[in-house]
Amino acid sequence: MSDDVKQESFDEFKCSFAYGSRTDLNFKFLAGLPDREAAEFFRDLLWKLGDVLDDGQFERLVDHVYEWQVHAYAGEGKWTYANGPFTPLRKPLSESRLVLMSSSGHFVEGDDPEPFGIQNMSQEEAVKNMLKFIRSEPMLSRIPVGTPKENLKVRHGGYDIRGAQADPNVVFPHELLLDLEREGRIGELARDAYSFVGACSQRRLLKRSGPEWVKMFQEKQIDVALLVPV
Amino acid sequence: MTIGIRAFRPRLEGMTLPRALITPHLMGRTLGAPGDRDRQREAVVAALELIEEAEQPGTFVELPGAYRAGRDARG
Repeated sequence: MSDDVKQESFDEFKCSFAYGSRTDLNFKFLAGLPDREAAEFFRDLLWKLGDVLDDGQFERLVDHVYEWQVHAYAGEGKWTYANGPFTPLRKPLSESRLVLMSSSGHFVEGDDPEPFGIQNMSQEEAVKNMLKFIRSEPMLSRIPVGTPKENLKVRHGGYDIRGAQADPNVVFPHELLLDLEREGRIGELARDAYSFVGACSQRRLLKRSGPEWVKMFQEKQIDVALLVPV
Repeated sequence: MTIGIRAFRPRLEGMTLPRALITPHLMGRTLGAPGDRDRQREAVVAALELIEEAEQPGTFVELPGAYRAGRDARG
């Protein structure tokens, strides 16, 4: 190895997956783990990969990543409350108007919210601008339910969007809800669904944007909101 | 009504949400894997049932089963 090549510590290596040289948002949780635990993650991942080479049971790799995401994100976070609201359903769901809202970062092609005035921001740029995003007011995108997949875009610097790109219903289930409306399970699905980038100023979301959106839903006589935080 | 992944359950509970369906799925794939329409529908139907059945704040229900990758809708 050349003397000019900088030696990378294990800590630097594990942190490189979180907005670093090896950014992979599926594994950004590694940056928050102690070295010992991150090493355990890799050791067990590779051992299980060895088993998969023999039996093809790749689900064990999925399970491994899932278990470590659960472990790494454990903890209440900073937004805790002693009490919470509860409004009982006032009429059957089959007579109710339901709206879908997700923090997935979807928008309709041609209606890009253009964060920070940037046209055609790429996913890579969104990742690089994460600090700006989490200090900014969220921008709500209106998405007609049933918008074809080829007309839906997604961009979010906080999670791996490959699943959401391949199939929006993994985090924005508008098609499923349309099916359920047709079956009579829901009285009416609001024709506009909504999405925003959840990696935003949480304080502004709580104090300003959130209350504005609730008011909008009340004006639209929405009975139920289905929320999918990502 | 909120649908969230198991990894975030402690945070969602701390927020004292009225009702939440918790899915045993990966981050960024809350309702299931791409193309796994049956599983995604299972999650949404369970959420709708919870809307109707929950009677008090902080009602959290875990969706049984597991994430099933491989039914890819990638074109």
